[in-house]
Amino acid sequence: MGAAARIASKDLKLRIRDRSAFIIGIFAPLALAFIFNVVFGGAFSADLELEYGLVDLDGGDVAQAFDEILTEIESDGLFTLSRFDSPAEAEAAIEADEIAAFFLLEEGLSDAVIEGENADLSVVGDIDAQTSTQIAASIAEQFGAGVSSTQLAVITAFALIDGPPPEESAAWGQEAAARGASYSLVDVSAETRQLDGTTYFAAGMAVFFLFFTVQFGVVGLLEEERDGTLARLLAAPISRTSIVGGKALLSFALGVISMTVLVVATQLLMGADWGPPAGVFLLIVTGVLSAVAIMGLVASVARTPDGAGNLGAIIAVTLGLLGGVFFPVGQGDDFLSKLSYLTPHAWFMRGLGDLSGGAEWTAAIPAAAAIMVFALVFGVTAWVLLKRRLNR
Amino acid sequence: MRKILAIAGSNVRRMLREKSNIFFVFIFPLALILLIGAQFGGDFDPGVGVWVAEDGVIAASILEELEADDSIELTRFESEDELTSAVERGNVQAGVFLPAGMDDAARSGVVIDVGFITRPDGFGPQLQSVVGSAVSRVMTLFYDAQVTTEKTESSFDDALDVALQQAESAPGLTVTTSALGEALFPATLGRFDLGASSQLVLFVFLTALAGSAALILSRQLGVSRRMLSTPTSTNVIVGGEGAGRWAVAMVQGLYIIVVTFILFRVNWGDPLGAALILVTFSAVGAGAGVLMGAIFKNDQQASGIGVVLSLGLAALGGCMFPIELFSPTMQQVAHLTPHAWALDGFAELVRRDGTVLDILPELGVLTAYAAVLLLIASWRLRVVLTRD
Repeated sequence: MGAAARIASKDLKLRIRDRSAFIIGIFAPLALAFIFNVVFGGAFSADLELEYGLVDLDGGDVAQAFDEILTEIESDGLFTLSRFDSPAEAEAAIEADEIAAFFLLEEGLSDAVIEGENADLSVVGDIDAQTSTQIAASIAEQFGAGVSSTQLAVITAFALIDGPPPEESAAWGQEAAARGASYSLVDVSAETRQLDGTTYFAAGMAVFFLFFTVQFGVVGLLEEERDGTLARLLAAPISRTSIVGGKALLSFALGVISMTVLVVATQLLMGADWGPPAGVFLLIVTGVLSAVAIMGLVASVARTPDGAGNLGAIIAVTLGLLGGVFFPVGQGDDFLSKLSYLTPHAWFMRGLGDLSGGAEWTAAIPAAAAIMVFALVFGVTAWVLLKRRLNR
Repeated sequence: MRKILAIAGSNVRRMLREKSNIFFVFIFPLALILLIGAQFGGDFDPGVGVWVAEDGVIAASILEELEADDSIELTRFESEDELTSAVERGNVQAGVFLPAGMDDAARSGVVIDVGFITRPDGFGPQLQSVVGSAVSRVMTLFYDAQVTTEKTESSFDDALDVALQQAESAPGLTVTTSALGEALFPATLGRFDLGASSQLVLFVFLTALAGSAALILSRQLGVSRRMLSTPTSTNVIVGGEGAGRWAVAMVQGLYIIVVTFILFRVNWGDPLGAALILVTFSAVGAGAGVLMGAIFKNDQQASGIGVVLSLGLAALGGCMFPIELFSPTMQQVAHLTPHAWALDGFAELVRRDGTVLDILPELGVLTAYAAVLLLIASWRLRVVLTRD
């Protein structure tokens, strides 16, 4: 064990002197997380703020009712409503990005509804604010459904009793519309088990570059092989376990150091919120182990250090992309999200998500256990292959 | 000129001989375009999950209404827990729980509790209004039938049948939606169109910067110095190194254009315009690559910085997130990157059917970038080659 530690500490000094480990392990993830946060920060965390307009050319009872409903929803804070005198003014407000859409009540709307004729309520929206426009349309449709219901009740009664509807049938319609309240949407707000934008980019970049950082350790074995120093190490009274262990230990140390620095730095500089330290530490340790295991396997099958670097890069990029470190992969339960969980990256991000929103550190255990499966399977294979390589 | 071509040719051969380059230059960009297309596929509708405890007329009608709503992407979940957890993890933005016994409850006038969960951030309240309106449209029919039943003493099912029939033809207050303005993302835009030009720009630059490692290696091994000892000027060496990077970038760019056109039917607009953007942008990448190769001594450092620069500039330049959605200040910052100009050019060609004349400003800016970078690179390389 002493020899392993000595090999690791010698290599660590080498890596610190050569700045590439610092660039890959700390500078690159920090710089990219910072840039991504600036570029996407607004998009990720923005609550949708809806601003609508209302143009009432009708002024009748139905229009009045619609106005009241909108005012009521506005007071719930769902959107802000501005009133305009003409469609042209409202259109100008859309062009100026002041509102996303407006409701247009044409002249004669109320009369048409009361006489049981077709009437039309228009929603005009900014073509680049389709979601906002469709939400406006949903609100209008909800109102339209109530109005139509009144008309429909009259017609249904008419059709059923095969004759002219009794005078009071209009009142039935209103009664039916009033019963619309006898269902309710029970709002059970869910907890958030998803990272905020800043933490997402910080964590994503950290784990992405982790797989490059740990390469400096295990691939060092191939460099010693190329430079001929490995033969000398093997000739020395050092066990093969110590040699492989020393390189793996360096990988592990570099990984843990860079991850810890990144956690602290992003927390202080960017306001990232990683969650309870014990849980984060657990994920970091298992995450680094899995990275060392996978890159160890890469080193064991590559012929040259360059080959290992290239193959490692391909694997790190593929796993990272699939694991959702750049953007979330898959929605719901689809094939892509299942595929995503074949990477330690996805479990790492999921574990951090489980920790967010005020959870206990133990919330990270399931994800950490999943990451350990990768670490064990690939780690044992890599260990066996690397030692066999030294025996050749 | 022959020397420039010889240096360029050896650079291209060196790059193609490395198998991992084949992956990053030819396979990875396409995989990414495919993945992004699958993930974001043209529209960004918020996802809503629904779980149905018991099949019934009301449940089926509500599902139908929700499915018909274009503003949301509906997914059905098999269990309550799965849906809750999907909402909590942000896989879907909101969840709707349709309880058992809704049909009976409606018949007997009992209040139905439709469960709705959403996350505290994001689209929650707005989605609630979308779901609420779908539920209310369905329930309206039922209450109509109910009131009619009570008043006319006919059976509920008859009344419901009549109401359902009448609902299709009945007059009513209909809502029409229209859009105003010039679409940022017109409906005709294929699901891969936007992603493809962004990825082209990102990867051409990435590959060009990654090429700097080869130049550093040439310097480390003394190849460049030996070239300089022959009657070859630094301008020729820079020209050759630049031409090599440029050729690789062009090959990659043309490959992405052709393959995405054939496989995904990506529309690239006017071919001459697209080709000119690629030519000038590749030159920018080549200039940056040679400059990096001249500045750095260690190829591992250079590739680390190269990744940061190429991903960072791509993010700032709008390759990962549409520049139109940036804040006004960020849009100005974005236009400090050559990426934003190249993307503007492609957008002009594709979205507004532009021609070469329409993209002259973009081509001009890209040419200026390339010229300045190559000049600085040439000067730096002369300094380092004559010094070491």
